[in-house]
Amino acid sequence: MKVFYIDTSSSYLYAGISDNDILLSSVKKNLGSDMSKFTIKEVENLFKEASLESSDIDKIIVVKGPGSYTGIRIGMTFAKIMAWSLKKEIVSITSLEAMSVLETSKVIVPLIDARRGFVFAGIYENNNVIMKNQYLKLDRLQEQLASLKKEFVYIGNQNKFKLENFIEYDPDILKIIIKYEGLKGENPHTIEPEYLKLTEAEENLKGIHYDN
Amino acid sequence: MKDIYILGIESSCDETSFSIVKNGVEEISTVISSQIDIHKQYGGVVPEIASRAHIKNITFVLEECLEKAQMTTDMIDAIAVTYGPGLIGSLLVGVECAKALAFLYHKPLIPVHHIAGHIYANNLVKRLEFPLISLVISGGHTELIYMDKDYSFKKLGATLDDAVGECYDKVAKVLNLEYPGGPKIDKLAKVGEATYDLPIPLNDNSYNFSFSGLKSAVINLVHNEEQRGNIINKENLARSFQDVVIKSLTKKTMRALQEYQVKNLILAGGVSANSGIREEFEKLCQENKINYTCPSLKYATDNAAMIASAGYYAYLDGRRADLTLNATSSCNLE
Repeated sequence: MKVFYIDTSSSYLYAGISDNDILLSSVKKNLGSDMSKFTIKEVENLFKEASLESSDIDKIIVVKGPGSYTGIRIGMTFAKIMAWSLKKEIVSITSLEAMSVLETSKVIVPLIDARRGFVFAGIYENNNVIMKNQYLKLDRLQEQLASLKKEFVYIGNQNKFKLENFIEYDPDILKIIIKYEGLKGENPHTIEPEYLKLTEAEENLKGIHYDN
Repeated sequence: MKDIYILGIESSCDETSFSIVKNGVEEISTVISSQIDIHKQYGGVVPEIASRAHIKNITFVLEECLEKAQMTTDMIDAIAVTYGPGLIGSLLVGVECAKALAFLYHKPLIPVHHIAGHIYANNLVKRLEFPLISLVISGGHTELIYMDKDYSFKKLGATLDDAVGECYDKVAKVLNLEYPGGPKIDKLAKVGEATYDLPIPLNDNSYNFSFSGLKSAVINLVHNEEQRGNIINKENLARSFQDVVIKSLTKKTMRALQEYQVKNLILAGGVSANSGIREEFEKLCQENKINYTCPSLKYATDNAAMIASAGYYAYLDGRRADLTLNATSSCNLE
């Protein structure tokens, strides 16, 4: 089975093509604010390197967020259009699920800076979800971790909060593909980003305040 | 000559639209998904909400467009997309979609300026005749453009501050009219009289416009009247306001036609749907023997048919983008 993987949820583009669990080509690049400019060009290079046409792919795995709102939409737009127009199977995973693919016996805490002291984070242990992905204050996450009384590691991009036990995220794209390629296909029409947070305008209208 | 089919994509604000146009003039199918009901409750377009809605809609709208045309993507000759100006997050969804299709189907990619699209909305009504002057009026633009041939634009002037449509929306807000308020002001103006004294903005020899002063004048007038305990006559204020807008637009446009010795005028953009503005231009053009065209109402607001039509002439002109095409919130038409 040939799988195409794409994650544009941070300032890094992570993408790859595998064939029967062999990685044919991959890219890990910090595109910063040029994500919209270079993503599809990089994808074109990936296919060239793998000597494949886009139509050769059997399955698409797209990272749906949370993370950079604009970033997520870049990969998601491409993946949706590819799946719908070429009639390919598509599955989505969260960025935190992708980050939790790590060889360790410790509790894994993938986290993404969500500004103003908030993070997008989840707590994972041996493939089990201990705390589901959510938008919460870093303090609150730390309280939860303290109450667990277990050894844990944070994983993320750039340790902005200067946390101890922090691992810089450097995805093993093949391992992520192998872990999630068996997921059941979703409808490309209705697949959409997972922002984990409403827009400010919606929060104000609905009177939602995040204080946790 | 072989027929050329262009797939147009427009997502610069709050409409997700796809269209297929043959040879720049014949509309095969157009689908527009408007988000107006979503944004109404916020009193205007919220950019992040618009971006989120675009990505939700995108494959639905594309599928419907192709089904209506009874075509498949591989039958398309080129893909034309609005790359700017507009809301960056919204534009990006359309641009990434266009780039994805261009990559997946090995099709040429044509970047189209949003204003060029508005001008070419008229090409779907009647083939453009050159030289022409186009007055582009919308929620984001107020520009006077000169064209001596297809896909060649010279900007004569533009608004120095607010766009005319933006001014309409803000005046509507102070009159407690629901978003989008432009059409409601137009309706009220029809039954009102110009009893309020408002200044004609930027009454000079340039081809530029200015609407923020007029907007402030209306807001101040309403607040002053309220403080005095007077009730505002909404119909009369709408009429007074609209008359000033029309005077400002027609004066500069008619002068440009005369100075450039141009006999063709086209209106473009969402505000060209305003009946007061249309009627006055129609009258003035008749008096001055100017050929006058305005887009049919369905093409006045944002749509992809106009992008596909403009895209055809950009295609003939050899304009292409590669896969590094980026969206931009502001860009030059010339």
